[in-house]
Amino acid sequence: MLGKLMKYEWRGLRFPLLIMLGILGIATLLTCLLIFTINPKFDNVASGLSVMSLILSIMLYYFGIIGCSVGTMLIIAIRFYKTTYTDQGYLTHTLPVETKTLLAAKTIMAVLCYLLMLLGIAATLLIIIGAIYTHIRNLSAYDGVFLDWQIGELFSELSEGFREEYGISFGAFVTFYTVFMIVACISAIMTVLGCVSLGQLYTKHRIIGAIIAYFAVMSVQQFISYLAMLPTYSRMIRAEALSETIPMFEIISPTMIISLLWAVAVSIIMHIVNLHMMTKRLNLE
Amino acid sequence: MNEQYTTAAPLLQINDLCKRYPNMGNYMSVFHMNLTIPRGRIIGLLGPNGCGKTTLIKMINGLLAPTSGAVYINGMFPGAESKRVISYLPERTYLENGMKVHQMIDYFADFYEDFAKEKAYSMLESLGISPEARLKTLSKGTKEKVQLILVMSRNAELYILDEPIAGVDPAARDYILRTIITNYNPNSTIILSTHLISDIENVLDDVIFMKNGSLMLYTSVDAIRSQQNKSVDAYFREVYAC
Repeated sequence: MLGKLMKYEWRGLRFPLLIMLGILGIATLLTCLLIFTINPKFDNVASGLSVMSLILSIMLYYFGIIGCSVGTMLIIAIRFYKTTYTDQGYLTHTLPVETKTLLAAKTIMAVLCYLLMLLGIAATLLIIIGAIYTHIRNLSAYDGVFLDWQIGELFSELSEGFREEYGISFGAFVTFYTVFMIVACISAIMTVLGCVSLGQLYTKHRIIGAIIAYFAVMSVQQFISYLAMLPTYSRMIRAEALSETIPMFEIISPTMIISLLWAVAVSIIMHIVNLHMMTKRLNLE
Repeated sequence: MNEQYTTAAPLLQINDLCKRYPNMGNYMSVFHMNLTIPRGRIIGLLGPNGCGKTTLIKMINGLLAPTSGAVYINGMFPGAESKRVISYLPERTYLENGMKVHQMIDYFADFYEDFAKEKAYSMLESLGISPEARLKTLSKGTKEKVQLILVMSRNAELYILDEPIAGVDPAARDYILRTIITNYNPNSTIILSTHLISDIENVLDDVIFMKNGSLMLYTSVDAIRSQQNKSVDAYFREVYAC
């Protein structure tokens, strides 16, 4: 049954997700076009135009990724609300499946959709880097071979000096950060779905209730994030006071581990909230 | 109807069921209700607005958690297993507007083992509804018909139909009642909630009268006719006279 539920969840989410990815694609394309109008040396008569293009391209891409990321989250929240707590909920909750299976299908597909959007953003970032590289390499003022050598040097320094600077290999850091991002993504989705469920407690204005719940939960999360930063601050101050050289990862690792554990805890709490609301507190209008 | 059909547990049993809404000034929508429903009956669930019919139906379907008491379907609490044997038509339109009619049929066939696709397509044809039509393009009445077709195309043990004829024209109403009777499995029970008593009383075996969240009367239609010398509709008007 989980597979069937996931299939219908995907069918419900895929079209709006595709629209979001389309918007992201257009924003990336326009950003690339703007990049090609920039003179990186800013030394010709059209330097004003280049600066404007640079600012515009950064803003366009920034708002493109923020908009698509928030938009995807909204799509997920709206679908969850509609299929779980509005008239469509009558069908959802009378399917011959356990509530935990129902919730698992919705959560898995929501996380997958959001991860797809993040992958889309990562892909556009690579496209933009590729566009910048191509643009610079094609400019007559630059020596392409020298540019390639410079980039090669940069990567070489990154792989050699990274362990020394950060106390961890570049590969391990990327792996850790990827795991951290995936857990954070799951936690973000679970928080949104949990807040949609919590909003149902405010029966007269369920959507407003969900928004209030979200801001309340986010305030708590911000406070916890602040607390999680304390070990990093204290290590930085100690290193400064004792003039010690502590690798960067050693300084930030407690914060990252606390944040990771907190994200896992939030996911579990929100899953329990959702299950409770969908079983014990379910009250369809 | 099939009076001889028996199993260890009654099809539906309701024990001392209560539902209180704390956010509505502790309003008791269902109050200490006890009820046992056997198989093989068509039962009218009747009562004025706000008497707790829909709340009771929601609790039977597991859409609302009781404040106290219990509901048993085939001896089980409402859950995945009970939903397998109940075919429920809510008073709301629960279809996903973006889907086509045939996609909804596939959806039901995917989830309900007792769903008969050919029966659904045959009923769609009788009512002139195209399987290719997208639900958002259909009128409210047509959507209700599609919903009823989906619900009645199941070979369920318990059908719970909440206001199945309220939103449709009289001609469609006759078709719907015919559909209910012709698709009715004698080992099943149908609980029909409606205000349009005169339209349905000829198909009913029993009636349940509810008042202020409590069971007021549970008797057969024949008993009302012979003891009160009245139709169910006339008796209802007398009982609930304002």
